[in-house]
Amino acid sequence: MPEPRFLQIHTLTSYTAALLNRDDSGLAKRLTYGGAPRTRISSQCLKRHWRIAEDPHALHAIDGADAASRSRELVTRKVLGGLGPEPVVAAIEPVFQKAVYGDKGTSKTARQTLLFGDREIAWLRGEAERLVAEAGGDAGAAAKTAEAWAKDFKKNIAAMRDAVALPGGLTAALFGRMVTSDTSANITAPVHVAHAFTVHGEESESDYFTAVDDLSEDEPGADTIQETELTCGLYYGYVVVDLPGLAKNLGPAAADLSGPILHNLVHLVAEVSPGAKLGSTAPYGRAGLMLLEAGDRQPRSLAEAFRDPVPAAAGMAGATDALTEHLAEMDAAYSTGEDRRFLSLRNTDLPGAARGTLKELADWAAALPAQLS
Amino acid sequence: MSGTDTRWLVLRLSAPMLSFGRVSIDQVGPTARWPGSSMLTGLLANALGWDWDDRARLQALQDRLRFGALILREGDTLTDSQNAQLAKADRGWTTRGAPEGRAGASYDAPHRRRRDFLMDAEYRVVLTLALAEAEPTLDRIGAALDRPARPLFLGRKPCLPTRPLRAGEVRGATVYAALAELNCATPCPAAWPKDDGPDGHRVHDVADTRVWSSGLHGGTRALVEGTL
Repeated sequence: MPEPRFLQIHTLTSYTAALLNRDDSGLAKRLTYGGAPRTRISSQCLKRHWRIAEDPHALHAIDGADAASRSRELVTRKVLGGLGPEPVVAAIEPVFQKAVYGDKGTSKTARQTLLFGDREIAWLRGEAERLVAEAGGDAGAAAKTAEAWAKDFKKNIAAMRDAVALPGGLTAALFGRMVTSDTSANITAPVHVAHAFTVHGEESESDYFTAVDDLSEDEPGADTIQETELTCGLYYGYVVVDLPGLAKNLGPAAADLSGPILHNLVHLVAEVSPGAKLGSTAPYGRAGLMLLEAGDRQPRSLAEAFRDPVPAAAGMAGATDALTEHLAEMDAAYSTGEDRRFLSLRNTDLPGAARGTLKELADWAAALPAQLS
Repeated sequence: MSGTDTRWLVLRLSAPMLSFGRVSIDQVGPTARWPGSSMLTGLLANALGWDWDDRARLQALQDRLRFGALILREGDTLTDSQNAQLAKADRGWTTRGAPEGRAGASYDAPHRRRRDFLMDAEYRVVLTLALAEAEPTLDRIGAALDRPARPLFLGRKPCLPTRPLRAGEVRGATVYAALAELNCATPCPAAWPKDDGPDGHRVHDVADTRVWSSGLHGGTRALVEGTL
């Protein structure tokens, strides 16, 4: 089995009479593919709903307790570890502990869980090295310059602490963070999300509706007349997770959090709808098919399976067949050797993939980070 | 550097949505018709696992890059309208030591922007590197495309490819000659650097080179458009 560096997640999910994602004119977002206009859900829309989901598998429901014990050692080990001479490091340590963890930071048990990734650690480490070098072996001077440093950079460090505190730090570790003017502080998102699109040509209906004012003293009549667009669609969704990239962003907490994050992400992708118009369209759907692939070859979407639109009448069966056929063709041409699991509402199999429930798929994904060398 | 024996990697760029970002002004992010020098540099660097901060290496790679492209299927433009909910209190730490905040007063209003993509396009790129012996070599890049350090994308992060990008090798003396080896069945629109093939239909200047030390784009190069 190849090293599971990349987790690819493919889904087919059906929504009926909904308006999931609109453009600036209020109409459904669209995409022309294979000459046929489709309806589309943007990656931003999908990610936002996975990020903010109030769900048993919400990202913020992930327990950071185990990670906490490791992240409390962050300054001691990652920022100051190995630096010398000892008296100088001892002199600046309380300042760094307070800067990173807040005023109670000198007490280990009072420290909160922080998701410092490579970026933050590199900057703090660089600053610590600079202060130690400037002290020239004088512990008293080191303590003073460190105090001044903490004061000068107070706002910056506070911004950093805000960014890495749980649960917000967790979504940044997954979906990235951008500081326009400073690429060195940016977090590269390890989760890549394609825009989802219907496997068939668009099915759109202009929904004419009126609202009646029942309390009006006048003859009851239409109080408002409006129109909205509703669409039906079976959507192909595609997500890639860069496992080493995720571990980098999670820093020392990766060992505890990577697995639970992947576990919950698989659930969220399968179960959380990119819903709009919740009250009037109930756009709640679960994936009818989900295929997970783990491997080390260049990730590629299976969108081409649907470049020829699946006839609307063929439905989920037609889409599953198209995906199965395309996957077999890709295997025959490129033999990329991914390890696969799938769930499906249909009784047909996918090439090289073992069938499971959503729980089994999520558990399988959660076990992948431990297999990375 | 020339000679009929020059090796060219062939890249296949194919996706429901892809983008060759041009210079954006304000909230509008247009796409070019042809893949750009900085975009390909970033793509290869991503495969190699380089970081944004590897500025000297990125610059050296861009400087060595020699490439052209042809279109097997022209993509229509898709303009995606994006909204982001930002708050005035949003700020991010920086390596300069002072946090970066947000200016402007339009709050609770969403931050709106437009991004152009090419739909259903299919391109082939031929590329080689000057100073063939230097690292990374063409072989190393080819291997990195097969097993990249990170997932690869075509211009923007949601533009995920439908095929392995690496699509073999050709040989030829010029970019144009290498493109001609690809044998498109019908005449294909193609682009190659000026003086790296015939004159073509027209020449125009493209601003697709990044000055990696600053992160900004600067300068232009002359690109020939024609058919093969």
